[in-house]
Amino acid sequence: MDAIEHPPIFRLPGIPDHVTYTWIVMLILIGLAWAASRRASLVPRGAQNFVEVILEQFIQMIDDVIGPQGRRYLPLIGTLGLFILVSNLMGLVPGLMSPTGNLMTNAACALVVFVSYHYIGIRTQGLGHYLKHFMGPVPALAPLMIPIEVISHLARPLSLTLRLFGNMTGGHILLAIIFFLMGLQGLIGFALSGSVGGAIVGGIGGLVMVVFTVGFLYPLKILVSFLQAFIFVMLTMLYVASAVEGAEHDAHHGQAESHAAHH
Amino acid sequence: MRALILAAMAVLVPSVALAQTATAPASGSLVGPYAVLAAGFGMALAASLCALGQGRAIASAVDAMARQPGAAARIQTTMIIGLALIESLAIYVLVVAMILLFVQPIK
Repeated sequence: MDAIEHPPIFRLPGIPDHVTYTWIVMLILIGLAWAASRRASLVPRGAQNFVEVILEQFIQMIDDVIGPQGRRYLPLIGTLGLFILVSNLMGLVPGLMSPTGNLMTNAACALVVFVSYHYIGIRTQGLGHYLKHFMGPVPALAPLMIPIEVISHLARPLSLTLRLFGNMTGGHILLAIIFFLMGLQGLIGFALSGSVGGAIVGGIGGLVMVVFTVGFLYPLKILVSFLQAFIFVMLTMLYVASAVEGAEHDAHHGQAESHAAHH
Repeated sequence: MRALILAAMAVLVPSVALAQTATAPASGSLVGPYAVLAAGFGMALAASLCALGQGRAIASAVDAMARQPGAAARIQTTMIIGLALIESLAIYVLVVAMILLFVQPIK
C-alpha cells in the first residue's frame, strides 16, 4: 500500500506509525477531557459544555438501546466511540494517518468489545445462566445451536474489525488515487507540459477534480467517519444489550411474581 | 469532443500505469494480472449487488417512515445498522481485493 499512499509526515523511529498516531489521538482526547474537567462547574461553559453535549448524546443512545441500567457502561462505549471518531477524522488531514486505517488498531478495539461484553454478560447473569443462552430455546436443539452461536459470536469481532478497516482504507485509497490522477503524472503534469491542448485539458480536468474532491469526496469521507464510529458504538451497545438482556428479563419476572404475591 | 476524449485518456492512462506499478509482473507468472482482474471484477460484482440490497432496504425504510413519521428516528437507526451489516459484505470483498493487489500472497 506504500506504492500509492504517502507515509505520514511525523514518524517516530522504531515505532509503527499507527501506534504513534494512536498516542496522538490519546493525547488529544486526554487534553480535551482535562480542559473540560479542569474547572467543573454546575453551569457548564466552554469545553465542559462541549463535552457534556457529546456525552449526553451517548447517554441517550445507551438509554434507547440498553436501557437506563446500561449507563454504567458509558466509560467503555464513550471511550471507544470518541477514540474511533477522532482517529477516523485524523486521516482526513493531509500528512497525518488514521490509526483505524490499520487492521491492528481495529482488532484491538474489537477484541476489547468482545471480551468485555462476555464479561458483562457473565457478571450480570452468572456463568451457567449465560452459557445457557448458547443452547437455544429447546435443549434438544443444543448440538445444532451451540456451533451456530459460537461461530456467530466469533464472527462479531471479525466483522467489527474488517468493517471499520475496509471503510477507512477504501476511502484513503480512493483519495490517494484521485490525488495521483491530479498529480504531476496526471492532470497537473498535462497542464504544465507546455502545450496549449495540455494546458486546457489539464487545467479544466484539474479544476473539475478539485471541485469533485473538495465538494463531494471530503464531505463523504467526513460522513463515513461519523457513520462508522456510530455503527461501531451502536453494535457494541447491541452486543452489551444482548448480554445483559436475560438478567433484565428475570428481574422483571421476579418483580411481577413478587407483585402477584403481594396482591 | 476531442477535449473529452483527451480528458478520458488523461484519466485512463495513469490508472493503467497505476495497475502496472501495483502488481509488478513476477517472472512471467500470469497470477499477478489475473489477480488484478479478479480484484476489479469481484469489487464490481460486490458493489453492484450490495447497491441492490441497500436500495431495497432504503426503499422499505423510506416507505415505513412516510407511513409512520412518529417512528422515523427508530426506523432510521435500524436502517443504518442494517445498511452497515449489508455493506460489510462488500467490505469483505474490498479487503480480499486489497490483499490480492497489495499483499500478493500468491505470486
